[in-house]
Amino acid sequence: MAEIVQNAPERSDDRTARERMMAALRSRTALGLALLLTLAVFWLLGQQQGATLSEMLSLTVWGVMLGGIIALGAIGLTLVYGVLKFPNFAHGELVTLGAYGALTFAAVLPMGPPMLPFSFGWELVAALILTMPAVSLIALAVDRVLFRPLRKRVASLVLFAMASLAAAFFLRSAIYLVWGSDFLFYYPGRANPAIDFPLDIRVQADQLFVFGLAVVLVILTWFLLERTRMGKAMRATANNPDLAQVRGINTERVIAWTWILGASLAAAGGVMYGLASQLRPEMGFWLLLPMFAAAIVGGLGSPVGAIAGAIIIGVAQQVSSAFLNPAYGPGVAFILLVIVLVLQPQGLFGQGGE
Amino acid sequence: MALLEVRGVTAGYGDTEILRNISMEVGEREIVSIIGPNGAGKSTLMKTIFGLLHPREGSVVFDGHDISRLQPYQIVERGMCYVPQVANVFTDLTVSENLEMGAFLAKTNDIAARMERIYEYFPRLKERRNQRAGKMSGGERQMVAMGSALMLDPKLVLMDEPSAGLSPKMVGVIFDQIRKINEAGPAILIVEQNAKLSLEMSDRGYVLASGENRFEGTGKELLNDPEVGRLYLGG
Repeated sequence: MAEIVQNAPERSDDRTARERMMAALRSRTALGLALLLTLAVFWLLGQQQGATLSEMLSLTVWGVMLGGIIALGAIGLTLVYGVLKFPNFAHGELVTLGAYGALTFAAVLPMGPPMLPFSFGWELVAALILTMPAVSLIALAVDRVLFRPLRKRVASLVLFAMASLAAAFFLRSAIYLVWGSDFLFYYPGRANPAIDFPLDIRVQADQLFVFGLAVVLVILTWFLLERTRMGKAMRATANNPDLAQVRGINTERVIAWTWILGASLAAAGGVMYGLASQLRPEMGFWLLLPMFAAAIVGGLGSPVGAIAGAIIIGVAQQVSSAFLNPAYGPGVAFILLVIVLVLQPQGLFGQGGE
Repeated sequence: MALLEVRGVTAGYGDTEILRNISMEVGEREIVSIIGPNGAGKSTLMKTIFGLLHPREGSVVFDGHDISRLQPYQIVERGMCYVPQVANVFTDLTVSENLEMGAFLAKTNDIAARMERIYEYFPRLKERRNQRAGKMSGGERQMVAMGSALMLDPKLVLMDEPSAGLSPKMVGVIFDQIRKINEAGPAILIVEQNAKLSLEMSDRGYVLASGENRFEGTGKELLNDPEVGRLYLGG
């Protein structure tokens, strides 16, 4: 017995080279390097398939823009996880609802001429502003009907996750029912010319709008979380729910605001995604894996991490399309997800298992 | 009438009964200690008073109103705050954000003035107001926890083992502040393992054992009681 006790402290200093290497691999810096390395490999593979430098640069720029859209979904996902402590599988459907909601609002509003150089008129901007509170109301209704009773009964995480999956199927069926299964466009057949940038990078004006809006929304979210009392209460509740209760924070109100913020961002992301490609009932579902991957790469519960993760996932998806069928995009997100889970499951900015 | 009255409270978790027929009271501006061995139910009594646990029998009356069925945030609104023993700060938030969360229910917009008052008790917190609470020492965290509980000017502060895990020097600092805080207004109900120290500054004390009241008296009486001394003060 005594010998074992004496040996114990020495063993930690006496790690084999292999153990020490594994520990080094598990640090955050190593994770960042591994992700960059993966992107570099994708880039080289793309060039090997005959893509020119300017094509690769364009793909990277588009990747950052796709990252902006993914980030809007991933921030909501990570906030809901932080405050409510379950992965919300219905988050993709909030994205889809946002996109279709804006389509309906824009159809009701009188159509104006396109605001050149963009392909859309003022009615889409108004529809975007209207669809955000509309989707928030749907998210609040789902919470009231489904998640709140589970909270009252202190249900397990598995039940919450399954309930959110059920909500996802329900909402998607409703979308099929209301809008049908055809692909839809905000402005079918309208030209969306690209703008030329140095180094032969070509970007559509709409893409620039989408990215600019994503940046503005991210900054607003940051302001809300860091500077307002409700935002601080959200972070406090995510950090220590029991203490939040002790301090007199009304947890149900915090949860409601978390849904409003998460659903608004998801809805805006949906409109932007619909503008960049087309509207399909499954569009949000296909964004779910990249959104989860972004949230986990960045560290679940960390909004800053979600943004960083989203940019990485967005670039990886676009750059890989130089050598892979773009339909495999979610699969690429999955590869990055596995790298993170193996090396450092807390992600780039997550809390170290507290 | 006493500020806080616990009347014949029986409480527990699930099938386990932890408190049996406990009665006690705290007057305005008093410092009252609850001492007793590990597992005596001291922390459970605190949680029952604060609404984190509801009594099965008996009642808790605060400031003339029965609060036995209220939620913690409703109790905070009525002027009672609680400093838990562990996990009592928001580790991801800065010191000033922690204090601000202590005043979440404040109706008026005078957070800055309230904070200044806390910084007078704990000047160290002012120096470190932009630091994350998770990066601070145990003593500093205890200051943040106490400061947050004082933000709303409560009439009564419950403190669960404020000396736990602190160096003897830091314990001295914290207890000095508790005395100062009490002089400025609020009554304090304190649960302590460090029974001698806490009885010395208390007006009155209760000894709890196996979930029942065993002794009560002024701090001095309990300190000088040979039986209390032998059983609970280690000598």
